[in-house]
Amino acid sequence: MADTIELRDIEVWDGNMAASHALRQVQVDVVAAYPITPSTPIVEGYAGFKANGYVDGEFVMTESEHGAMSCCIGAAAAGGRVATATSSQGFALMLETLYSASGMRLPIVLNLVNRAIGAPLNVNGDHSDMYMGRDSGWIQFGAYSPQEAYDLNFIAFKVSEDHDVRLPAIVNQDGFMTSHTAQGVHTLSDEAAFNFVGEYKPMNDMLDLDHPVTHGVQTEEDWHFEHKARQQHALMTAVIPKIEAAFDEFEKLTGRKYNIVESYSMDDAEVAVICMGTSVETAREVAEEMRANGVKAGVVGIRVFRPWPLEQIAAVLKNVKAVGLLDRSSPHGAMGALYNEVAGSLFNTDTKAVLTNYIYGLGGRDLTKAHLVSIFTELKANADAGKPTTPLQQYIGLRGPKLSFF
Amino acid sequence: MSEIKKIKNLKDFSTSADRFEGANLLCPGCAHSIIVREVLNATNDDLILAASTGCLEVCTAVYPYTSWDASWIHIGFENGSSAVAGAEAMYKALKTKGRLKQPDRTPKFVAFGGDGATYDIGFQWISGCFERGHNMMYVCLDNEVYANTGGQRSSSTPIGASATTTPAGRISYGEKRNKKDMMAIMAAHGAPYVAQVAPNKWKDMVAKIQKGFAAEGPVYINAMSACTTEWKFAPEDTISISDLATDSLVFPLYEIIDGTQLNITYRPKNIIPVRDYLGAQGRFKHLFTKQNEYLIDEWQTRIDAKWEYLQRREEASV
Amino acid sequence: MEKKGWDGFEIGAMLRTFDGAVQDIATTLPENRPYSQSSSFTASVADWRIEKPLFNKDYCIDCQFCWIYCPDMSIISRDKKMVGIDFDHCKGCGICVQVCPTNPKSLLMFPEQKDEEAALAEWPKKEKKDQSEEPKED
Repeated sequence: MADTIELRDIEVWDGNMAASHALRQVQVDVVAAYPITPSTPIVEGYAGFKANGYVDGEFVMTESEHGAMSCCIGAAAAGGRVATATSSQGFALMLETLYSASGMRLPIVLNLVNRAIGAPLNVNGDHSDMYMGRDSGWIQFGAYSPQEAYDLNFIAFKVSEDHDVRLPAIVNQDGFMTSHTAQGVHTLSDEAAFNFVGEYKPMNDMLDLDHPVTHGVQTEEDWHFEHKARQQHALMTAVIPKIEAAFDEFEKLTGRKYNIVESYSMDDAEVAVICMGTSVETAREVAEEMRANGVKAGVVGIRVFRPWPLEQIAAVLKNVKAVGLLDRSSPHGAMGALYNEVAGSLFNTDTKAVLTNYIYGLGGRDLTKAHLVSIFTELKANADAGKPTTPLQQYIGLRGPKLSFF
Repeated sequence: MSEIKKIKNLKDFSTSADRFEGANLLCPGCAHSIIVREVLNATNDDLILAASTGCLEVCTAVYPYTSWDASWIHIGFENGSSAVAGAEAMYKALKTKGRLKQPDRTPKFVAFGGDGATYDIGFQWISGCFERGHNMMYVCLDNEVYANTGGQRSSSTPIGASATTTPAGRISYGEKRNKKDMMAIMAAHGAPYVAQVAPNKWKDMVAKIQKGFAAEGPVYINAMSACTTEWKFAPEDTISISDLATDSLVFPLYEIIDGTQLNITYRPKNIIPVRDYLGAQGRFKHLFTKQNEYLIDEWQTRIDAKWEYLQRREEASV
Repeated sequence: MEKKGWDGFEIGAMLRTFDGAVQDIATTLPENRPYSQSSSFTASVADWRIEKPLFNKDYCIDCQFCWIYCPDMSIISRDKKMVGIDFDHCKGCGICVQVCPTNPKSLLMFPEQKDEEAALAEWPKKEKKDQSEEPKED
């Protein structure tokens, strides 16, 4: 039996340490991982717990991220709690197997410490990796702080392993901005954390030797469509209610309330920005300042990126006149993902908000309060004009001539 | 450690209840199936199996049918090894934590992959699993070609074989490179047991599989799999072609223990000329022409040298 | 198997070989196993065959060469005796005939439609030249 750690009520942890402790506390059976900046300290921390007797599960340091996720899949199919962590190029290397994990309906929790994807090579935070995984069939949570990175791990295990769900889950946190920034984190005791997630309940487990099971079959045109439809059905119908239930239970336990879509000052907002990660906190501060200057500004944070909360997004934007969609990933030939997703969410509704897209923060470039002030100012102009007063897609915080499209 | 199944002779062995089922989609006469049977029937222990994408995988788990009577998993082309390693890690974790459903049973963990999945695309994953020392057996079904996708060359394809991506033609004799020596590479990992087997020499093969199952740590088995479709011989000749391969020493049967001790396990009474082996297969047909015939002599020289090398290694015990 | 709709099967395209629990499958013969509809054992590849092997037990010495080398688990051996051929799973490759060491062979290939009684009636007699050591290498 692994030793427990007596945590203080508030620990000073960065996002990586918070995730590492969460993995320890839920007593993951197999962690298979490969180190990559900026997620490395998660597995280093976990290795330290293992080396000191705080973990009695297996810790497999693989030869690559692809090998790590392959081991995770084998371990999850064998029947137990499984987790890993990665970033960027490592996530890209895993990508093939991410589709396998979700298609085989295996619960695995992946801490994705968001980082740009090269070329050019870059170790800093943007959301390119998160976006790369968005069609892979994984549930995707977004944390904006070390506290949330910690809390959302518990939610992720609970939802992912639910027998009505059985889908793998990613907990995103911003590389460096969250992963390496120490903040006060309210902790759960080891016992409370484990009890919240509960004992792993096996399903279709290969190690049940009395019930041999075949995983990873081939299906061609006569079956594949039905299987993918079934997967989509679970992702679309089972996941959000289970997350909401887990959020409620978590609030009862900790007092910390999470929502599928986080909204700040949105009740009477005329203009809003929608973003993810640490930018949400910066945007909230600026929105308050805009309000002091008479602009009814609000902020929407995406807490659950997949499944995409279409109805919740439409509801929160119901009365807004102009929305800025902040994408921290190069869209490479299209409007940003958030722009497209939100536009799709509003299109058949009565909301006729003016939507504009901002590409920001690539490769760890700071999003400053000044940037947000100018965004809110442009959104206000859009709201007043009832149409876009700027190009639809603008790059912000970029050197050189102003870059915009459409 | 569970008991080793007693197999004194073939009659004994024939009382085995196969855990691999018919009406799979492998070609008539496919040696893969014979190899799988000899591996699975070598033990009565429970099995946890994995397969890399390839002939064996696509022919034995096509929805809604499975041909496997033990738990089995496939992920992709390169990672059958890692899949079973992950399952083995979970077994260890649940054993430590006292959560195994049948704690008194000790399953064997076996991954199967073709030579494409082993020598080429899955090489890194296998190396990782062996370096980490998972308690698993990796069986390469070595038919020296990407048979599942229609006969492209792999790094196991031998010199002079005509493959679809190294076809013999007016100015080419086919594959230009010699086969990669996976046995030496896997032995160099320090694996406790590495062996080359051929299903026609069933007794030698089953003994090696049992040794492999008894070993602690990762075990590599390179199993010659004569391919009726891509080697181009009649389906009924799978065993006779395999005999030519082992008796010409093109596929010498040997084992390497703890990365060093090499033992030759089969010495043909009458060594057959390599020419006879090559001549029996359509993939080498073009070698029997005036312009290419020198390659047959080179083949013989190479095989002789390898046999000499293996014997010296055996004598030297290093 | 019935082509079920998207809501009609197990998640993850998972298949179960057996209905219910099995213990010690390694020593349970096929006739005693609770195969599910998902096991390929319940399917047939009989229509792959152009020729079929027929078995003449008069000459069989129960050496089990046919059993060990059959790629399709189609040689039925029980208690160390060759019993017959599983024609649901035999693909007609002909390996069993090739490896049969008796003289005359105890297994021979015949056209798929051949009547078994007729085949047995016209079974070749012992050849003078002893072929009993190894299968021929064609």
